[in-house]
Amino acid sequence: MSRLKDLQKNLFGGTTSNARQFGMIFTLVAIIVLFQILTDGLTLRSDNLIALFNQNSYILILAIGMLMVIVAGHIDLSVGSIAAFTGILVAKSMAEWSLPWPVAILFGLAIGAIIGAWQGFWVAYIGVPAFIVTLAGMLLFRGGNQFIGNANTIPVPEGFRVIGSGFLPEAGPDTGYNNLTLLLGLAACVAVVWREFQARKTRREMDADPAPMWVSVLRMAVMVGAIVFASLRFASGRVGTSFPVSGIILVALILIYSFYTRNTAGGRHIYAVGGNSRAAELSGVKLKRVNFFVMMNMAVLAALAGMIFVARSAASGPQDGNGWELDAIAAVFIGGAAVAGGIGTISGSIVGGLVMAVLNNGLQLLGVGTDRVQIIKGLVLLLAVAIDVYNKSQGRFSVIGSITRSFRRDTPTPPTSSSDAEREPARTAVSG
Amino acid sequence: MRNLIGKSVAIGAIAALALTATACGSGRDGDSGGSKGDTKGFAADSLIGVALPSKTSENWVLAGDLFTNGLKEAGFKSDVQYAGASTTVADQQAQITAMVTKGAKVIVIGATDAAQLSTQVAAAHAAGAKVIAYDRLITNTPDLDYYVAFDNFKVGQLQGQALLDGMKAKKPNGPYNIELFSGSPDDNNAGVFFNGAMSVLKPEIDKGNVVVASKQTDVKQTAIQGWKAEGAQARMDQLLTSTYGNKELDGVLSPNDTLARAIITSIKGAGKPVPVVSGQDSEVESVKSIMAGEQYMTINKDTRNLVKQTIAMVKALQAGNTPEVNDTKSYNNGSKVVDTYLLPPVAVTKANAAEAYANDPKLAPLTK
Repeated sequence: MSRLKDLQKNLFGGTTSNARQFGMIFTLVAIIVLFQILTDGLTLRSDNLIALFNQNSYILILAIGMLMVIVAGHIDLSVGSIAAFTGILVAKSMAEWSLPWPVAILFGLAIGAIIGAWQGFWVAYIGVPAFIVTLAGMLLFRGGNQFIGNANTIPVPEGFRVIGSGFLPEAGPDTGYNNLTLLLGLAACVAVVWREFQARKTRREMDADPAPMWVSVLRMAVMVGAIVFASLRFASGRVGTSFPVSGIILVALILIYSFYTRNTAGGRHIYAVGGNSRAAELSGVKLKRVNFFVMMNMAVLAALAGMIFVARSAASGPQDGNGWELDAIAAVFIGGAAVAGGIGTISGSIVGGLVMAVLNNGLQLLGVGTDRVQIIKGLVLLLAVAIDVYNKSQGRFSVIGSITRSFRRDTPTPPTSSSDAEREPARTAVSG
Repeated sequence: MRNLIGKSVAIGAIAALALTATACGSGRDGDSGGSKGDTKGFAADSLIGVALPSKTSENWVLAGDLFTNGLKEAGFKSDVQYAGASTTVADQQAQITAMVTKGAKVIVIGATDAAQLSTQVAAAHAAGAKVIAYDRLITNTPDLDYYVAFDNFKVGQLQGQALLDGMKAKKPNGPYNIELFSGSPDDNNAGVFFNGAMSVLKPEIDKGNVVVASKQTDVKQTAIQGWKAEGAQARMDQLLTSTYGNKELDGVLSPNDTLARAIITSIKGAGKPVPVVSGQDSEVESVKSIMAGEQYMTINKDTRNLVKQTIAMVKALQAGNTPEVNDTKSYNNGSKVVDTYLLPPVAVTKANAAEAYANDPKLAPLTK
């Protein structure tokens, strides 16, 4: 009994929104296991896992930016077009001005920043709804792509392709695995363990009640186990393959943006604006600057996603970016963001995106046609959000919450853990 | 004490990672280096992957059905996939990757965008699968093995010639006003059709016998993105408004049937007489239209023959033989000259429709 309470309080952070996040992760694991059985073990084979990341990293990168846009209470429909526009410009810059590819990547990011500043200006300083600004942007930059590219497909040089389809080099002794991938896995394990101890130390210093040791150990064991499993999988693909470069870019972005949205004043301001923009403004949040930032940030990430796709496809084509905005938005909402803004996490969106990705991949491995795949994905999106909305309207926040409610004492658990405050954005007080 | 437990777990996990990494040295599951130079064929019941573009024309749907049945008859396992309607390129990339994962021995690809598949074709090659480009040549990859298609330059020539013949039959003397349409610029074939047609039309245009009244002769002006019918209809609407207020339109070069019907719809909508319009693919609606005297011609590229030829190539590969090809010079995809088997197309007008479609169960009844 008390163990259950401990587990709930500490593993899920004790709050219902974390329980929901746990629910999403559970769904993801369930889908993976289901397809692993249905496809006779193809789903978790290393080449398929590598392909999964290669195929979806650009969508997940978009989801990171989209989460921040949606949390701030906006939407961005232009990301696919911005990606295509940047893609064609970067491809042309390398083909016609023979720009070296690292410079071309910087050039692409700069284009993203300029486009973002343009859209951010209209949203933040003129006050045109983001829906309209980005709808215009969708047309504008799609047209720009066709205008510049003459609807042609333009190939990109070998070096540039690394960011979309490249792998870590083989280094060190022949262990039968990709050594650098193993090292990455090791670093991740160390980081997980270090972070756990760091968190415990902080809480002890703050005289807070640290989670029972066994919970910490369990949590670490699960995460380290997952990381060990994943890194062995990724490291054991065909010679010359490893954890993909696009996946590394994605993971780096997830870490940076998770930290930013959870642990910095700037990140918390986005939640404050989305939760109640008027209140946020009165508390001293620079509303315009926040809105400008999220729109601009989205465009830069869209530019990066566009370049990764072009690199993976080895060419920039006129169909690039079609429908990407919808994939990114779907990932964010499946991952538990609120349509009205103010609620949602980066990790949730990534899990949401992965649910869609694994679903897509598994159905393709089973040979299900795209027509039926689309039907299934549509239903999953609807159901995921519907369950959330229904549960909220019933006054309970999640299925898991409602199952375990009878076990709970009536005494409200004070939000002791620091992660409580981080993950309950709407209630967070805003600092300067 | 507590710390000790945690630390020992962490150390244990890291040790486990290191151990498993070194202990089972045969971690890599792919056969390293692929099966290069392996010409001994493969099992007769192997998986054959077929990746086709989205279902925008009847032809692809028919091809998919023929592949499913034909491969089954030949004893293979098949996986026939179409790209989705909106995210076509990404879908096809993912589908091809999935086929490689499933261990397909041959992957037949009707590309949505001919230049954006090199990563996937390379992955297939590395896994030891043969790649056959079906109908559309995949460019910028040294890993493509074969190309099978109808002779598309010939298709263009037949379209151009039929256009001239048809206009002459209606009106013995020129000059004739015509308009030009071409296919999607991301489809490698679109340019080949257009060049084939222009090889016939250009001499007549230079002589002044044939006039492109709108002066839009550049392939960038004539192209219809994505082979979309509404694109062709919109462009024809605009041409009629801008150029044919008081001029007579005698002929339209259309690269395929879907666009031809859209062009005819536009012309009829404007209340003008239907000119001579070319086409291609022998779609049901267009054959009906030809028999009704509206569309002038189409090209019969019997999908049955193309699929039959492709499956013959797959069988040859299975037996460890080199598939038959009849062109080893003309099709350079930017990285290499691809061994190609070309099938001859046939021009069909109302006059020879019954004969041309005699063996086609779906089209034959329409020509009676």
